[in-house]
Order: sequence, then structure tokens, then C-alpha cells
Amino acid sequence: MKRKYLLVLFIGGMLLLSACSLRNDAADLYKKENALEVKVAVPDVIAADEPFKVQAILSRDGEKLEKADFVHFEILKHDGSFRLPMEEAAFIKEGLYEMELYLEEDGLYYLDVHAGFKGSIVNPRQQFIVGELSEAELDALKKGTVADQEMPSKHH
Amino acid sequence: MYAGVLFAPLLLLLAVTGSVYLFKSEIESVLYQEYYQVDPQKEKLAVSEQLEEVKRLYPEAIVTKYRPGEDNERSSEVTISTNEESLTLFIDPYTGKSVGELNNEDRIMDKIEEIHGELMAGTLGDRMVELAACWAIVLLVTGFFLWFPKKPKGMGGVLFPRLKKGGKILRRDLHAVPAFWVSGGLLFLILTGLPWSGLWGANFQAITTNTGEGYPPSVWIGEAPVSGVETQDIAEVPWAAETLDVPISSLQGLVPQTLDQVVKIAEQTGIYPTYSIIIPQEPEGVYTLSVFPPKAQDEATIHIDQYSGAVLADYRYDNYGIIGKVVAWGITLHKGTQFGLANQLASLIICLGVILTAISGVYLWWKRKPKKGMGGPTAPALFKTKMFLWLMIGLGILFPLVGLSILVVWLFDWLIIQRIPVVKRWFNV
Repeated sequence: MKRKYLLVLFIGGMLLLSACSLRNDAADLYKKENALEVKVAVPDVIAADEPFKVQAILSRDGEKLEKADFVHFEILKHDGSFRLPMEEAAFIKEGLYEMELYLEEDGLYYLDVHAGFKGSIVNPRQQFIVGELSEAELDALKKGTVADQEMPSKHH
Repeated sequence: MYAGVLFAPLLLLLAVTGSVYLFKSEIESVLYQEYYQVDPQKEKLAVSEQLEEVKRLYPEAIVTKYRPGEDNERSSEVTISTNEESLTLFIDPYTGKSVGELNNEDRIMDKIEEIHGELMAGTLGDRMVELAACWAIVLLVTGFFLWFPKKPKGMGGVLFPRLKKGGKILRRDLHAVPAFWVSGGLLFLILTGLPWSGLWGANFQAITTNTGEGYPPSVWIGEAPVSGVETQDIAEVPWAAETLDVPISSLQGLVPQTLDQVVKIAEQTGIYPTYSIIIPQEPEGVYTLSVFPPKAQDEATIHIDQYSGAVLADYRYDNYGIIGKVVAWGITLHKGTQFGLANQLASLIICLGVILTAISGVYLWWKRKPKKGMGGPTAPALFKTKMFLWLMIGLGILFPLVGLSILVVWLFDWLIIQRIPVVKRWFNV
């Protein structure tokens, strides 16, 4: 008699212990953000004094976006010696934005994309190289300090 | 009876450490005042500049967490991990200099929390605390069940002690009366503490999260979302390369958001100012803003794409399911932070009550314990009522550790106690 109860207890307890892992889609049960996704495209090889195109491809939930609320491109040189201020990128088609550029100097550059759609804002920074890197730029890359620097600081 | 004697010391320990831990923020603000306080100046330095000091002091360390000061007089905290050690550096955000550092293992309040949560014995300790807590619930529930059906003989000895009926009655009442009052509070503290526990808590959290009514995933358990990026789109860092032996094209790519940017995004979300930023260590990781302030309503867990800076998930208290909200309130009430001082004092009184009850209970047991044996009641009475048995089975299933321990005790009883007369006599069965 007693053993029957203990068996119930044992089986019940084991069932409860083993039954609970988190479902993969648990996040779908709660508030979702539907964040903007962005892919940045820059040519593999860029030479100084030659025009090239940079692109941003925007999507949401894996689907290409029709049109974003805003898409701005901004160019900075690593050492802060050069800067192209924020400018609206040209809308080509579904989620594809483009800008033609022309840079005179070799070096390490950043393309900052600022895009927004229905409250979701992205601002990825794409690092790219024009021509050859200088020693200083290579050192900076090795130290990994580049990514920690938003704007070249006056303290240095 | 036996469960009571066994787990009283554990409950006592939990009550003592809990009483101290209630005042964590007050104690720490005194202990670490010199680390926390800085003289406000005109402008704060960029986070990247504050991190340079950390890199200078610990060039090899990995920065895992950053906590901006919540007001002008508060230092920033940078948590780093070096070989197996976790240190917190306190940085003056105006000068960029370190004002002090703490080895996270040396924090006295963390030690107390560790005793409170796992007796400083890792998983085993966690299970023991959980077992004691679950058994305490079982004792409270069955105790109430056993006591209730009897005809009440007045409230003396339950709601207030009977002072004029002699020392024996008074001693008994000094145990029973606070015990009655404390039971409710203790039950509350245990129920609100259980969601923390390693086994019951983890399962409870998984079940409630799965129903959509608990915490959203990653707030308590579950994975954070990942940064939506393909490896080839990330800029490589030519770490050890003496010369440029990686192709230039692999140096081109996305670079992670800077902490300065993340702080800016955090400010835009309106997150409670005592938040921390947990820094991703994997290429697909996310920055996580996390804050569990004194009041449950201010909690937030926000995941930010490491490269695009997009807010991938933004879970506030309002986004918790109904059970999640209740548990969140339970936790802040348990920690004594929800209602400030009043909350701390109320919890302190419960803890002191538990301490008094446990000590007086052991004293009572000692007083009436026979010279030989434990002095426990004979067991069969317990199993005579079917209702009671089913109650125990129900509780045993609800708290699997309790169920498991009942099984172990039964096996012990069946294999040893019932077969060896001396032992049998000692346990009075």
C-alpha cells in the first residue's frame, strides 16, 4: 500500500524534473522588436582617386524593406583628418541604398550608415581601406583601439 | 518532527544571513564609499578614454561589463576578467583615473549572498538550501493542516502568549506564538526566494516562460538574441600579425559599436540609471543592458546588436507575463528593496522571528527529549489519514527534492531502521 504511494511520488517527481526545458520559440510569446537589419557593401579593392559605390541593404524579419524612413551615409578617416558629413543616400530599389564616392587619399576609412524605420534605428560602422595602409594605421588596427574610438580624441 | 530538527539550523542560517543581506546597499555604500564617490567636474570623459586606464593597468584582461555612474558623484565601474579572477575597477569619469579596485570574490556581501543561496558549497549547497526551503513549506502546510481541524481553545498560545500559567506553558508559548505569526512571513519569504533556486527555480522559470506568462527569455533563463551578422562581414583584427599577412579585404568589414555609442543608445531607451552594460565576448554576441533596481517596475533587459546598434529585444517590467510580474515583485520584496526602509524592517522582523522560533524550538525539544533516543513522536499516526498522505504526495511532486528525500528516508527506514533493533528504539518507531 505504502509502496504504491511512493511509486506515484517517484514517477510524478521524475516527470516534473525532466519535463522543463525552454522552448526555442519562447521569445515569440513576448514583446518583439522587429529590428531593422542592415548589410553594408563596399568593394573589396578601392584605389585612391577612383570612384566607387557603397551600398546599404535594409531588411526586416528577413524580408527586404520597401523604403526606410531615412538612410544617411557618413565617411570618416581613421585619424580624423578627413570627414564627409552625413548625407542622404540615394534610394535605388527595395531596401537598397547607394552612394558614389571618390576619395583622394590612401588610408583606413569608416562608412557610418544611419538608418531608421518605424522607431528601429541602426548605425553600423563599416571599416574599409583605400589603397595601402600606413604604418600608423596598421599599428592602430593591431592594437584594436580603432573600434573603441568614436571620434579621434583631442587628449592624445 | 525529524525534518524540523534537521532543517532548523539551515533556516536559522538563512535568517541570519538574510537579515544582514537586507541592508546590502547601506552596508556597501559605507564599505566602498571611497570607491563610489567622485568629485563632479564639468565634463565626463568618453568611455573609451576611461577604458584606456583599465587597459594600462591590466593589458591582458578582458572587459566584461561596464556600469556608468548613475549620477554626477558616482564613479564608473569596469568589470574585467583576468586569469580566473574577476575584478571591478572604479574609474573617476572626470579624470579617467582608477580610484580603487575590488576582487569580486572579496566582496563581503557577495560572500553572505553565497552563504544565503548555496552555503558556499556550489550546486550541492544550492540543493540543500532548496531542500530546506521546500521542507519548510511542507512543514508549514502540513503543520497548518494538522493544527487546523482541532477545536480552538481560545487564542491564547496562538496569537499571544499565556503569561500566567507557569513557566512550562510560557516556554511553550514563547515558541508557538511567534512561530504562528512568523509562519505567514516565512512562507512568503520562502515562496519568493524559491524562484532563485537552482532546481525548482530553474524549472519553474522554464515552465512559466514557456507559457508566455513568465519572464521573457534571457531576463532570467534562456538565451539572448544574437547579432544578425555573417562572419565574413566582420572586420578582422590583425592581432598578432607582425606584418600584414591577412588580406586587406578581410580587414574590411563591420566593426563593433563602441561603448560610447551603446551608452548613447541606452540613454535613448530611458533605462533606469543604475544599469550595467554586459559586453559581448563572441562575434555573434550582443551588448546587454541590464538593470534590477530596488523597485520591480523599473527593471529592464535590453539586447543591442553588436554591429548595427539595433535594439533586438527590449524587455521591461510591463513586458513580463503576469507570473513574471508577481515573481519580480516577490524578489524585490524578498530583498527588502521594493518599499525601502519599511520593507527592510518588516523582513528583518520575520527573520528575527524565525531565529527566535528556531532557537526556542530546539530548546523545547532538548527540554523534553528523553535521555535515550531522539524523542520524536511515533510515526504511524501520520500515515493513517489518506488525505494527509495525498497532501504529502502532492507536495512531494510539487517540490521534487522533498519527494526525493521522502523516498530516501523511506529506503533508509526500510533497509536499516526496521532491521536493526537498537536504531529502531532510538528513533522511537
